[in-house]
Amino acid sequence: MQITDDLVQFVYEGRTLAVPTPLRDRLNQPMITIKIDGESVEVPQATLKKDENGRYIKDADGNPVLRETTIYDAALLLAEKTGHNPIPLLCHREHLTPVAVCRVCVVDIDPNGRAKLAPACQRQVEKGMEVRTKDTSERVREAVALLTEMLMADHPSPCAKHAASKDCELELLAEEMNRTTSRFPKRATGGEDRPRDDSSVVIAVDHSACIMCDRCVRGCNEIRNNQVIGRMNKGYTARIAFDLNENMGLSNCVSCGECMVSCPTGALTNRATVFDSIKDKKAFKGSEVVHADDLVKLPLFDGVSHAFLRFNEGAVVRRHFKNGEIICREGDFGSTAYYIEDGKVDIYLATSFNHVKSRKGKGAGLLGGLINRFRSELVTRKQEPREEENYDKYIHIDAPVSLEYEKPIAELVKGDIFGEMTCMNSYPRSATVRAKGDVTVLEMQRNVLYILQRSKKSKKMLDDRYRARAIDNHLRSVDIFADVAESPAEFERFVTRLRPQVDLYRYNNGDTIFNQGDLADAFYLVRSGFVKVTQKHMGADHVLNYVGPGGYIGEIGLLTGFPEIQKTGVAAGRRTATCTALDHVDLVRISAEAFQGLLDDFPAFRNKVIATASKRLEDNARALHELENSSLAQFLDQGLMNATSLLVLDLEKCTRCDECTKACSDAHDGVTRLIREGLRYDKFLVASSCRSCLDPYCLVGCPVGAIGRSKSREIIIKDTCIGCGKCADNCPYGNINMHSLPAQMKADPAHPDKLIPVIQQKATSCDLCRELDGQPSCVYACPHDAAHRMTGHELLDLVRLGPG
Amino acid sequence: MIVQRLGEIQHKFGYLPDDELKALSKRIGEPLHRLHEVASFFPHFRLKPGPKVSIHVCRDMACHLAGAPALHSAMEGVASEFGGKQQVEVKGVSCLGQCDHAPAACVNDYVYWDKSPQQLRSYVELGLSNEPLPRQHAGEDRLPWKIDPYFGREVTYDAIKRFVDTRDADGIIKSLETSTLKGMGGARFPTFRKWASVRGAPSPVKYAVVNGDESEPGTFKDRELLRRAPHLVVEGVILSGLVTGAKQGWIYIRHEFEEEIEAVRREIQRAVAHGACGSKIYGSELEFDLDVFVSPGGYICGEESALIEAMEDKRAEPRNKPPFMVYSGLYGRPTVMNNVETMSWVPSILLNGAEWYRDAGVNGSTGMWFISVSGDVNRPGVYEIPFGLTVGEMIDDLCQGMKPGKTFKAIAPSGPSGGVLPHFIPRDRLPERFASTLPADATGYDVRQLPLDPAKLGQLDNMLGAAIVIVGSGANMVDFARNLVEFYANESCGKCVPCRLGSHKLAEMIATMMKGNYPRSNLKTIDELARTMMITSICGLGMVAPNPIATVMKYFPEEIEPYLA
Repeated sequence: MQITDDLVQFVYEGRTLAVPTPLRDRLNQPMITIKIDGESVEVPQATLKKDENGRYIKDADGNPVLRETTIYDAALLLAEKTGHNPIPLLCHREHLTPVAVCRVCVVDIDPNGRAKLAPACQRQVEKGMEVRTKDTSERVREAVALLTEMLMADHPSPCAKHAASKDCELELLAEEMNRTTSRFPKRATGGEDRPRDDSSVVIAVDHSACIMCDRCVRGCNEIRNNQVIGRMNKGYTARIAFDLNENMGLSNCVSCGECMVSCPTGALTNRATVFDSIKDKKAFKGSEVVHADDLVKLPLFDGVSHAFLRFNEGAVVRRHFKNGEIICREGDFGSTAYYIEDGKVDIYLATSFNHVKSRKGKGAGLLGGLINRFRSELVTRKQEPREEENYDKYIHIDAPVSLEYEKPIAELVKGDIFGEMTCMNSYPRSATVRAKGDVTVLEMQRNVLYILQRSKKSKKMLDDRYRARAIDNHLRSVDIFADVAESPAEFERFVTRLRPQVDLYRYNNGDTIFNQGDLADAFYLVRSGFVKVTQKHMGADHVLNYVGPGGYIGEIGLLTGFPEIQKTGVAAGRRTATCTALDHVDLVRISAEAFQGLLDDFPAFRNKVIATASKRLEDNARALHELENSSLAQFLDQGLMNATSLLVLDLEKCTRCDECTKACSDAHDGVTRLIREGLRYDKFLVASSCRSCLDPYCLVGCPVGAIGRSKSREIIIKDTCIGCGKCADNCPYGNINMHSLPAQMKADPAHPDKLIPVIQQKATSCDLCRELDGQPSCVYACPHDAAHRMTGHELLDLVRLGPG
Repeated sequence: MIVQRLGEIQHKFGYLPDDELKALSKRIGEPLHRLHEVASFFPHFRLKPGPKVSIHVCRDMACHLAGAPALHSAMEGVASEFGGKQQVEVKGVSCLGQCDHAPAACVNDYVYWDKSPQQLRSYVELGLSNEPLPRQHAGEDRLPWKIDPYFGREVTYDAIKRFVDTRDADGIIKSLETSTLKGMGGARFPTFRKWASVRGAPSPVKYAVVNGDESEPGTFKDRELLRRAPHLVVEGVILSGLVTGAKQGWIYIRHEFEEEIEAVRREIQRAVAHGACGSKIYGSELEFDLDVFVSPGGYICGEESALIEAMEDKRAEPRNKPPFMVYSGLYGRPTVMNNVETMSWVPSILLNGAEWYRDAGVNGSTGMWFISVSGDVNRPGVYEIPFGLTVGEMIDDLCQGMKPGKTFKAIAPSGPSGGVLPHFIPRDRLPERFASTLPADATGYDVRQLPLDPAKLGQLDNMLGAAIVIVGSGANMVDFARNLVEFYANESCGKCVPCRLGSHKLAEMIATMMKGNYPRSNLKTIDELARTMMITSICGLGMVAPNPIATVMKYFPEEIEPYLA
C-alpha cells in the first residue's frame, strides 16, 4: 500500500511499519547462505535496527533504520547451533554501531587467502561468502595474536578489572591467544598523558588501561545521549576525554555508569565504596549484602554482566522477614524494588477508603453566622456517592497484581518483583507488604533493576512471568475489559487468546511511543509509569491526558473503521495524538491484527471500547474548544489560560476582610484550600486555589491512581487516596493540601476480625463545595460581591470587554 | 561548520580558549566533546596559548636528505638566544610540499623555502617585535603543458560549453574509458568507472569533491597545477558534476597552500562570471555550485573517506570500506572524488580526443602524468611526462643528473608509501615472475631501465606514486627508513589498532635497532608486524607504513647487519 510518495506500508515481525520503498525492498530480499569455517548458516541480508529493549530505532525523519547483517551476526547465529563462536571481539557489541577499530574480529573472505582481511563486526554478508576465522586460517590467527600482543604491550596487566574479577576482555583474549607477554616495547610515557583520574565519586578512570575501543564513547553518546565522552588527540597519543578534557568529576558526566559497563578493560571501573548505602541506611536485622559472585548464580541475574554486578556490590541486599513483619508501607518514600526469593507476602492497602466531606453543621442558617457553619468528616463513596467519580473496581498498585476495591489484598509469591515504580521513578510506596510466614527478599537499587530490565535473559524471565501469572489479573483490572470479565468462561477464553499475542515493551522518560499522524499498528496497556497524551492544535502541543497504570492508549486509531468513530472525522488508521513516556513506562503491546481479532470475537469488549473511545474523543474536542477562544500572551504566561475554575477577586470591591479564606477553612475542617494571594491581572486578583488545569500535572505519579479528572474535568481525589502527598508536591500552584484526620481503628485486610490503627491523611483540593448550595463557600461568604468563580477565558473577556 | 568556527576563534585569539569553545557549543548546539574531538585532532589548532613565534621545520624525506635536522638544531639555537620556549618554539612538522627546494620551514604559519638559518632568524626577530613577516611567492605563470588546451589564449571552458550543447554524458564517460585515465592520487582507479558509478547511483543528491590535500612527502605536482592552471581543475570538477548529476562541489586544499587557494578562488569567480559555473550554466537549466574547502590539515585528510569526515566536521578518520564513496560519500550521498591532476586532465582529453591522451605513452605504456621529483638530483621539480619514461631518462634528461659527488643509490617511487628500490636489484631479490623475464646471463635488474608505469612497479611488488625521491650515495638507508616510518607514526589518525600502535612500535623498534646490538630475532617480529599491518589496517596509511623498513630489510640487508647483535 502506497502511503505517500516515499513511504509504503510494510508488515515486519508482525508489526505494521511505514517504511521508505528501498528499505522495504531490502528487507524483502531472500535469505542467503554463507559458510564460516566450512559450516553453512542461513541469514537475512538485513534486519531493522533495534535498541537493547527490542524496539525499532528510528532516524531523524522517523523512519526505521536498516541494519545490514554482518559476518559476526552470522557467526552468532551459527554459534547457537555449534556452541562455539570463533570470532573474538573487543570494540563491538551487538547494540552498538560497529566501528571496527580493534580489528581482532578480522576474518579471511578471499578465496585465495591473499587480500586484506575483513572486520567481521562491520562487513556485510554476501551470498556464497566463505569465511575463515582464526580457527582455520593461519594468517588470521597470526594477525589476531599479534594485535592482541601489541595491545598487551601497553596494558597495565592485571588491570583493575582483571585484578578484581578476572574478566578484562583484553587479558582474557591474550590468555586465549597465548600472548600474555609481549615482544613489543612498552609505552614509554606513563604518567602525564595517561593519568589516573579519581575525580568522579562513582567511576575510577585509568587512561593507561584504555585500548580506545570506543565503546564508552558510543555508550555515552549513542545509547544514553549524555554527550560527554569523546576521543582526543591523534595517533599514538589519542585517548578518551570528558567534555573539553576535564577531569571526569568536573565534567558534565551524570554518572549513569554506561561507560563503566561498556568498558572491556580496567580503564573505567566502579569506585566500590558508593553503593554500600542500602545496607547501612536501614539497620534491618538479618540483612546481608549479596555479592556479585553469588548473584550470578541466581537465574534472574544469569544474563547480567558480572562486571556490572561487581561494580555495584552493595546495591543488592538479602533480607529475611518473619511472619507478620512489615516489608514496606504504603505512602513511604523509597528507592528500591523487592524480589521475593522465597516465601509469600500479603500486599494490601491499610488506608480506609473514603474522602473528606464537608457539610452544614447544626445551627447553620442566617442566625448562626459563619462560625462553625460547616464541619468535615470522612465518608465513603457508598455513603456519599459523587456522581462524577468513576467507580473503579480495581486499584492499580506497584506490583504484578491489582487490588480489588472491595477486598484490597492479594498475595505475592516466590519470583515476584514489587516496588518497581518506586524504584525507577521515586514514587511513594503504593501498598503495604507484610510477610506471610518466613520470607526472604532481595532488595535492589535502581541501577540493578535497570540492568535487569535491559538484560535479555532476565527480561525474558520477567516477561514470561507476566504472561503466565499476571496477565489475567491485569486484564481483569482494566475497565474496558470489565464487561468481558463478567463472564468467567468468556474471560478465560479472552485471556487464553491474548496471552501469546502480547509483547512487553519498556520506554524511558522522553521516549515517543507513537506520534500523531503515525499509522496505528497496536494498542497498548500501561503496566507501570505514566504516559503523556498530547495533541497538536493550532501549532502548539496540548496535553489531553496523563495515563497511568491500569490505563491504555492507542485504541482510537484502530477503531476508525466503526461508524461511531468515523463520524468524529478522525483520519482513518492514524494516531490522533502523540504519546510520550513521562518516566520509565512498561507497556503491554497488542498488535493491530490481534486487537482486530478481539473486536471480532468479543462483542462485549467491542461495545465497551467503542463507547470509551467515543467519550475520549468527545472530551478531547471539548478541551480543545475551550482553548480555541483566546491566546493572549500575558494570560498564557501566568498560566491562567489553563484554568477552568479560577477564584477571582475584584480588588475594587474587595476590602481584604479574608472572609473567603475563613469560609473555606470552616468548610473544610480547619484546612483552607485557598489563599487570598496570587497573580494580579488588571484589577483582579486570582486567588490561589485549584484551577482545574487543562494540563493537570498533579495526575502524574499517584502510586494508587487515586487522583483523576471528573467528567466536568475537575480534579477529584478518590477514596483510595493513601495520603502520601505526591499530588500536593506536584501541583505547581500549591493548591492541593494534605488534610490530617484523627487516627482510626480499622479491620486488618488479612484478618478482618483484627483491628489495626490507621493514620488518616487525605489529599484535598478545591471541589467547588458542590455539596453546599451549589455555590462555593468562598463566593457565598464574600459580603462584598467581590469573589467570583470563572474560567480563564471568562476572566479574559471580563478584562477585555468589561462586565456584561 | 565546526572546523570553520574553530578557525575563526583561533584567528582571533591565537588559540582556542575554553570559554570560547563553551560559548560556541551553546551557539551551534554541539556538545563540548564534539568540539574538543575536532580541535585536538588537527595539529593546526592550539588548545593553549602559543609562544610569540613558532618555527616549524619540515622533517620528511627530501628535507631530511637535504639537511633538515641541521636546520632544526640551528633554529633551536635561535630559540634559546631569544629566551627559549615561551618566546620561540621550534617543532618538527610533516611535509610542507616544498620538496623541490628543501629544506622548508614555517615561521608563524608562513611557509619559506631556500632560506638560510640567518634569514629565518631575521624573521624570528620580526615576529618578536610584532612586525609583519614577508610572504614568499612562487611563480604563477602558465607553462606550455600539454594538459592545458588553453595555453597561450583565454580560458573559455570549451568542454563545458560542448556538454551544454550535446548533453552527451555517456560519450564523456566513454572518452575517459578510451583515454585510460586513472586516478593520479596514487590508487590508479579508472576514472570513467568512478564517474559511471556515481552517475548510475539513484540518489537525488550527489556531490563532487576534488582531493587537493597533497600532503605525501615528496609530492608537490598538484601545488603547481592549482597555482599555474587552476582553470583545469575547475573545468574538470564542473564536468564531473554535470556528468554524474552532482550539483555541488568542493575543491579541498591543504591550508598551507595559501597562494594556491587564492588562485583557485579567483578562478571559480571567473568561471561564474563566464557562465561556466553556478546556476544556469551558459544559459541552460544546468547548475553546479563550486567552492574551496580549506583543509584543517594532516596527511590522513588525503585518504578519501578521512577527507569526507573532515568536511563533515569530524575527526579525519578513514571509514571502513565498503561502503565505497561512489555510493555513500559526503553526508552518505554518492560522491565523485578525484585528485587535482585527474580532474585537470579531463578538459584536454575531451577537447583533444581520448586517443590523443592514450597514445602519448611510451615504451608500451599509455597516457601522460605529472611527477614531482626531489632528493639528490640537480634539478628537482614537477614534470609532465609520458607514462613509460624510464628512471634513467628521468634522472639524466629531466633532472640533469645526480647532485655533484652523488651517484644513484636508491629510488622511492611512491614517496614513503612503497618504500625503496636499490639502483640495481640482484636476481635473487627479484620476484620470480619478474626475474624470469630477464636474459639468462643477467645478474640482476638495473633500475635505470625501469619504465615509470604502475603495472611495471607492481611486478616488482612496489607501487608508483606521484612522488619520486632519488637517494644518492652516502645515505644511511636504515636512517632513511626510520624517517619514513616516523612520518607514518606522526600522521596515523589513531583510529585502528594496527596502525595506531603498529606504526609507533615500528618507529621505536628501528630507533632502538640503530643504537646497535639489536637482537636478530626481533627482525622476525618486525616482519610479522609488517604482515599484520598490511592486512588488518582500515586504510592505506597503516597498510603501507611498514614498507620503508620492509624494503630496506629486503634490498639493503648489509646496512641492517652492523646494528645487529
